[in-house]
Amino acid sequence: MTDTIIITGAGGVGKTTLAAAIGVAIAATGARTLVLTIDPAMRLADALGIEDLGDEPRPVAGVANLSAAMLDVSASWEAIIHRYAAPDVGDRLLVNPYFRAIADRFPAAQSYAAGERMAEFIETKLYDVIVVDTPPSGGGIDFFRAPARTGDLVSGKLLKWLTGSRLPGRGVIYQLAARPMLRLADSVLGGAMLSDVAAFLVDLRTMYDGLAARSRTIERYLRSAHIVIATTADPTPLHETHRFFRELGEFAITPDSIVFNRTLPSEWIDDAVRPLRGIDDPDLRALAKGNLRTWASEARRQADAIDELSARYTIDVHTIRWRTPPPETLADLRSLIDASSLFGSLPGPTS
Amino acid sequence: MADTELMFVSGKGGTGKSAVTAAIAIAAARQGRTVLAVDMGTSLGLGAHLRHADLPYAPTETRPGLWAMSMDRATALDEYIKLQLHMPLGAPTKQFAGALTVLADTAPGVREIISIGKPLYEVWKGVWDLVIVDGQSLGQFQSYLRAPATIAELVPTGNVRRQAQRLASTLEDPAITTITLVTNPAELPVRETIETMEILRSEGLCPPPDVIMNRFLEPSGMSLDDIDRMPDGSAREAAQMQLAMEAGQERWAREIDAPVSLPYLRGVLTPGEVAVQLADALGGRP
Repeated sequence: MTDTIIITGAGGVGKTTLAAAIGVAIAATGARTLVLTIDPAMRLADALGIEDLGDEPRPVAGVANLSAAMLDVSASWEAIIHRYAAPDVGDRLLVNPYFRAIADRFPAAQSYAAGERMAEFIETKLYDVIVVDTPPSGGGIDFFRAPARTGDLVSGKLLKWLTGSRLPGRGVIYQLAARPMLRLADSVLGGAMLSDVAAFLVDLRTMYDGLAARSRTIERYLRSAHIVIATTADPTPLHETHRFFRELGEFAITPDSIVFNRTLPSEWIDDAVRPLRGIDDPDLRALAKGNLRTWASEARRQADAIDELSARYTIDVHTIRWRTPPPETLADLRSLIDASSLFGSLPGPTS
Repeated sequence: MADTELMFVSGKGGTGKSAVTAAIAIAAARQGRTVLAVDMGTSLGLGAHLRHADLPYAPTETRPGLWAMSMDRATALDEYIKLQLHMPLGAPTKQFAGALTVLADTAPGVREIISIGKPLYEVWKGVWDLVIVDGQSLGQFQSYLRAPATIAELVPTGNVRRQAQRLASTLEDPAITTITLVTNPAELPVRETIETMEILRSEGLCPPPDVIMNRFLEPSGMSLDDIDRMPDGSAREAAQMQLAMEAGQERWAREIDAPVSLPYLRGVLTPGEVAVQLADALGGRP
């Protein structure tokens, strides 16, 4: 069985770095590990050797048992179409302007494609642990919502309104013009927009059974995954963290742990108000003291936020120390995890 | 019609986009301009920074000269159908809105054009000196900018097409529209900002963006030699951290041309305090 670890959270909190670091640490235990990432920073791509990586996993040089893959959204959607649409429908869909627009721009599209890839990798049974870095869209919650939303898209709610029939075939498009509502809609909206959309939705509808079943499978994988919420003390990530606890419940998903990233040493808070000894030069002493005080006020803000999270949710809050400069090498990534209680809480070979 | 300036603010998630939007709005209102700040419904958003946690859709005066509103797509859609699409008299507007709501959730570009349309209609009214939009994060932001052109491509004729074309030409007009990208002096924000600027330039959907460097640490005045003169302990660790950050921000700030820098504020501050301190730092700048 494959254990899946999903790293989620607001943009800018270090999800991709965490996913890579966790992957490196787990691979070191001997488990066959895959890191599925979205858009790594150059330094991470360099560390993982994936600057030209496509959709297919490649071994990471220098780390036994570790592979990495980067999500290519449009390639993933083409694969989904080929898998679930009849060949003639698939060809029509791939050149349809609405489909192109949806695949590139539909906010949930990237999230659905990421979930689909995750499911495919789980089913290869080639990995003991898959670490998934989630797309930032919708504060990360879209990743969990995408299967249901994609189901809505192809279920034909709009199509039913457009055509009035339960399970329309392509023939129905030619009758559309006769419906008064559509005549009005077309005169207001312009041209044959709605009939074009309907033609597209009819094709999409043929994929419904396949995609709906697939969406349920992906949802099942999401529910059994180990969910790690990454945050910092900034208001937006904290707000998103609360939102995860509020909204993940509707998908029967419970977060397993919170990782508080980029923390400062809490002892700075007390040391900042103690006399500073051992610096003779009074100018330097004043500078050093002022600097410590400013950073201690930041440490105070973090400590308050961590206390609030622990009090509010009965869940482990693990901290990852702030590193300057940011981690660049595989050894740097490894040391992030080694210094944290996070590793012991993860599923798989570590538990 | 008064000359209304339209400013979209975007940036990578976590760079402080909403705080900077609020700060620019506050600074403009202090200069006596009539300002409308628009929250596009992002997670925490502008409201907290303007001390109005739940901004309504109808513009509300948050301090003298500074009005703010929050995007609500359902209301914006109603407004769009009534005011912009010129529905024929007696048409079943309500049913039609219901259908469009479903369409907006599925058909590409519809959701985006309704959201981005609202601030542009406010510009067309001619009652504001500045309409400033706390936009989506990079990535999604480009989809919103593209929406009018996408719709104009997909819809062959009619009112929607004419509306979309008017929106697109307002967005492109450098006499009206400015784009401000908020970044931080660190690798990912700087790289994503540069990539976005290249995409925006190549697509020509809007005038070239300006960049604001937010969270720029004030140099401490310490040097690496000074660290050797400090005993082990918290003060030395904090000094090492500060100097490492100064070096990092020097390196990444060099990569991008950002005429305006705003300070890295630390410690326990409310979102409202953050916005006011950033507005103070902006001073008399436009």
